[in-house]
Amino acid sequence: MKRLSDQTLYEILEVPQDADAPAIAAAYERVRSLYGPGSLATYTLMTPEEAALLTSRIDEAKQTLLDAEARARYDASLAQPAHGRPGAGENGAAAAPFGIASPPVIPAAPRPAAEAEAGAVPEPPAPAPTLRPADLLQAAALAPPAQPPPIRLEREIVPVAATPVPPASVPPPAPPEIPMPEGALWSGEALRRVREARGLTVQQIAERTKVTRHHVENIEGERFSALPAPVYLRGILLSLARELRLDGQKVARAYLERAAGADGPGGSGSR
Amino acid sequence: MADAPILKLVRPLPEEPVRRPPAAARRRSRRVISIGGGKGGIGKSLISANLAIELARRGKRVVLVDADLGGANLHTTLGIDVPRRTLSDFIERKVARIEDVVTPTGIENLGLVSGALDHLDAANPRYAQKMRLLRHVQQMDVDYAILDLGAGTHANVLDFFLVSDHGLLVLVPEPTAVENAYRFVKAAFWRRMRNVAQVYGYDPLLRSVMESGTFRSPVELMATFAERDPEAGRNLARQLAAFRPRLVVNQARTPQDADMGQAVVAAWRKYFGLEMDFLGTIAYDDEMWRAVRTRRPLLVERPDVPSARAFGGIADALLALDTAARPGVAG
Repeated sequence: MKRLSDQTLYEILEVPQDADAPAIAAAYERVRSLYGPGSLATYTLMTPEEAALLTSRIDEAKQTLLDAEARARYDASLAQPAHGRPGAGENGAAAAPFGIASPPVIPAAPRPAAEAEAGAVPEPPAPAPTLRPADLLQAAALAPPAQPPPIRLEREIVPVAATPVPPASVPPPAPPEIPMPEGALWSGEALRRVREARGLTVQQIAERTKVTRHHVENIEGERFSALPAPVYLRGILLSLARELRLDGQKVARAYLERAAGADGPGGSGSR
Repeated sequence: MADAPILKLVRPLPEEPVRRPPAAARRRSRRVISIGGGKGGIGKSLISANLAIELARRGKRVVLVDADLGGANLHTTLGIDVPRRTLSDFIERKVARIEDVVTPTGIENLGLVSGALDHLDAANPRYAQKMRLLRHVQQMDVDYAILDLGAGTHANVLDFFLVSDHGLLVLVPEPTAVENAYRFVKAAFWRRMRNVAQVYGYDPLLRSVMESGTFRSPVELMATFAERDPEAGRNLARQLAAFRPRLVVNQARTPQDADMGQAVVAAWRKYFGLEMDFLGTIAYDDEMWRAVRTRRPLLVERPDVPSARAFGGIADALLALDTAARPGVAG
């Protein structure tokens, strides 16, 4: 899957990268009439913004690829090893979770001599290839997951030496053992035990997460009927889990399944 | 989400408890083709009937199922009288097996399961009834079961479309039909995404992603989803890549209309980042209309005309896909 903005100009025109100029010119005409403005094939497929973007990219492809110099520059930018560059707006943020630390690939390669006469180049600069989600997905499939383990207990990180602190005086730097439920079965009771092990009162966690005390108590007490709709409950669970340094996704998933299983008599909540 | 039952769209994860026995489904080598397109009057029934005849003439054993639960008329298209037994009898469990309501059509290798005609309840089968119907259709002892779907984007229609090995999207090159076809295929896509999310337990994540902003296309949504949970994102992308409608352009009148199929495939790929398989174009033909009037199928009445010959190409394309496909992938 590639966004329109992530497709190369060749992909926009649907031509191979070694297509010659007449082929590109013909492709431009074809593409422009097939899904340019007023085209039937894109009718209601895209939002007006997307349609405008596609049209502008088609025109950009023609301008860039039918100009030998501009095309050479563009090809050079495509040939760079990394598929994507960080810092491409929202795409840059997407890089981190995939664990692909793309080096900042600013083209250090020597430019063609002609380009040194900067003013002589009227074309817009060749657009930088942006991060493509599809590539990221593929790359991530190959690379071992660089994600941190989902649940990291503090005691695993803190050296064992940091032990007994008088419990009364200071908030404990290394909390006591966190009771993890069997098979990640995140019941209300399990959440309560983790909270207590973290040394938090209901009042404290309510203040820190901005979740009302009432909700916290109902979650821990598994009073499902008193809880808000799953869509809101999930957000609350994520907040609580974050505060408890648990994997929010797992906690929310497990708890919501419990809740769904409880209110349907057939236990078919996940159906 | 009790209103959105999971059909057999994806296999359950191995480590998850098996939600339904997949053994029966894996055993089958037959194919289910469904014909949809969102809009009424675009030739779904005619295409169903003539494609069925084309396949039957090639020696495939074919059963046509009139799954237009609210407006069945496939028997008329085939020129046979209102059948005594219909899908209603099966849905209402008056008969045990769907084979018991198959009517011969007078064409070798081709049977018809006529649609429900008069029982209003049958237009809205309950979940269990729908599952039973799908299960029986998939297990029929035929090479091809062809489902003629109704118009619209009702959940029942979408679910039939999604469980098929080949979901045929019929499109007529005019704005109203294009609009409805895109609405239909988008609705099917989102339903599939939701189904996958439910099967794998990504529902809460998907919901929270969708609440976190507006997404103009699935590509953007997928990227955000994968950011939150890369593992789930990979799996979801894999599952959704199997969503490959087969496109048929009907009633093409001009050379531009004939290009419409490729244009839609390309536009769909560009915008949705997904694939469609273009099976062919059927030219607009008065003979088709005349055949309907005489209540005789086009391929029986006028097999020589260009519109009839187009079904040969469509069948070729379908059979080629079946040959190329690894068994059980499309399910």
